[in-house]
Amino acid sequence: MEKKFEIKDLITVGIFTALYFAVTFAVACIGFIPIFMVLMPLIGPIFTGIPLMLYFSKIKHFGMITITSIIIAILMFITGHHYPIFIFCIGAGLITELVLKAGNYQSIKSCVIGSSTFSLWMLGMVIAFFFGFREDYFASLVDGYGQEYVDKMMGYTPTWVFFAMIVMCLIGGLIGGLLGAKVLKKHFRKAGMA
Amino acid sequence: MELGLSSTSDKGILKLDPRTKLCLLIAISIIMVGGKTVGVEYVLRVICAAIPFVLLLTVRHVKSALIYIIILGISVFCEGSVIPNISGAPNLILMIICGIISRFVPGYMMGWYTVRSTSVSEFMTAMDKMHIPYFITIPFSVMFRYFPTLGEEYRSIHDAMKMREIGQSVKNPFTYIEYVLVPIMMSTVRIADELSAASLTKGLSAGGRRTHICQINIRLYDWLLMFGALAMIVLFFVF
Repeated sequence: MEKKFEIKDLITVGIFTALYFAVTFAVACIGFIPIFMVLMPLIGPIFTGIPLMLYFSKIKHFGMITITSIIIAILMFITGHHYPIFIFCIGAGLITELVLKAGNYQSIKSCVIGSSTFSLWMLGMVIAFFFGFREDYFASLVDGYGQEYVDKMMGYTPTWVFFAMIVMCLIGGLIGGLLGAKVLKKHFRKAGMA
Repeated sequence: MELGLSSTSDKGILKLDPRTKLCLLIAISIIMVGGKTVGVEYVLRVICAAIPFVLLLTVRHVKSALIYIIILGISVFCEGSVIPNISGAPNLILMIICGIISRFVPGYMMGWYTVRSTSVSEFMTAMDKMHIPYFITIPFSVMFRYFPTLGEEYRSIHDAMKMREIGQSVKNPFTYIEYVLVPIMMSTVRIADELSAASLTKGLSAGGRRTHICQINIRLYDWLLMFGALAMIVLFFVF
């Protein structure tokens, strides 16, 4: 941290996190259709990559992305996700922080890679389908959504899907990042806003 | 026009502490999202669904309270009596829609109540008393302030597109997203700059302890409600 963190940076964090979260939420709504739930880690980052790239272009200090990831974790926890979301969010935030730092917060290439690593937090949303959480989670779904839905979901999510999802996150984030870079170039660089 | 965290919160009968609201919000979302629909948890769900309704009435948001209870009523009715009688694809679709509504809408309404009935100053003061560091509270208060603005911006863009008759004619989803997202992002950048300027004027970056004139006290009913929320969570995990 060369220069001290300013209030201005915190406001930037707040506003862009709000935008990012709103887009994520809008995309997540289609995740209730069983097959889309599985594809969510691929589709989500493609759309969220666009505001994320704009946010990355505003980042100048170490720590901003980490704060964003903490805030997303808290919001996700409040809206009823399991506690591992904290691990995934903050982990992804820290990795992205390092990636951006490697590019000195200026290189577009590291921004695109950062968009890819940052979307790893979405795994925290789907972790309930896998490993030790699996049985409990599906048992709790039976009442609310019915056996048919649960059977469908269970069929879609064998354990190997989790590892496929990691790859999907990375690829989705990469596409989103490239798309975001394109949008930035087309609309914002000309206006001098990015 | 009032947006987001309201500037005054004197209207209304029951003035809750922001910490109490937060407690209730967490309890409601944990129970509503994860809960089963039988036994003790069913009772808990009914209580949780009723809390936002009552609280919205106490701040005189009668219209939104009624809309909330009607939507929830319809979805619960569908879950109870319509879904068992049909099968196949309509069953699944209806089930998912009703499932989302009955699980997420109460938490969402509680969040809306919290945002509408708490002023920025109250929120910051309460967070300060909970010893939450400022690098969490400032982005949070900015966010809550910004969410309603985001909705408004979206509606304006939608209207503008309609006026120029480009809303329906855009078939490519990516083009549509570009048309909506880019103006929103533009205004986001502008709002961020304006807010930073405002915060500079208000001396937020001066350092030093923040003072406040709003009264934040945990009163008797706050304790009761917090205890209730805690009891519900304990009951929820025990059963």
